[in-house]
Amino acid sequence: MDRFQYLLLMGACVLVTLPLELYFGARVWRQPRRLAIALLPAFALFVVWDLWATSTGTWDFNPDYTIGLTLPGGMAIEELVFFTVIPICGLLTLETVRGILRRRERA
Amino acid sequence: MPIYPTLAVTAAVVVVVLELRVLRSGLFREPAYWISMAICYAFMIPVDGWLTKHSAAIVLYRPEDTSGIYPIWDIPLEEYAYAFALLTLVMLTWDRVGERAIATAAREDVRA
Repeated sequence: MDRFQYLLLMGACVLVTLPLELYFGARVWRQPRRLAIALLPAFALFVVWDLWATSTGTWDFNPDYTIGLTLPGGMAIEELVFFTVIPICGLLTLETVRGILRRRERA
Repeated sequence: MPIYPTLAVTAAVVVVVLELRVLRSGLFREPAYWISMAICYAFMIPVDGWLTKHSAAIVLYRPEDTSGIYPIWDIPLEEYAYAFALLTLVMLTWDRVGERAIATAAREDVRA
């Protein structure tokens, strides 16, 4: 079970932020096309950086806490999940705060 | 300066320049952006703290490549610049794609 730690942590991030979409009207998950296009540039850039940093040894992934699937150079496959999940958490936060501020302005 | 802080600060600066010189979306003038970033940083502490804790790290850094400065738990200082670059870039592209969609819809409305 320890080998799923990284993935479980990412799952927790999705679960914790899901109410923002469901109850706070964030509308991020509900715009999948916009979301996919928005994620793409940062995803590409940070994955290239990650592949390079892992292959040169700047950072490395603990085999005890990752499932063991790696990309060339040793980058854990979980990183691909990270660069999808964390930006979505950020966008959910931004859209929720925007919604709250808009509703306050109208009130 | 070691490689990781060098690249993290560079990434953050590039994103700021991208907004101020190219996109000019006004995101940095929006209170919602700064409030959101504060919230994201607050949640970054437990998540990144878990990933980097020296007692059982998921991500292991080569010490010579980092700043060696850990203001909170075992999170390297440059990780905050890294997070700034990642989150801000995605927020900028998100707004950009949204504006484009609105502009396209408006043009279609005119034609209709």
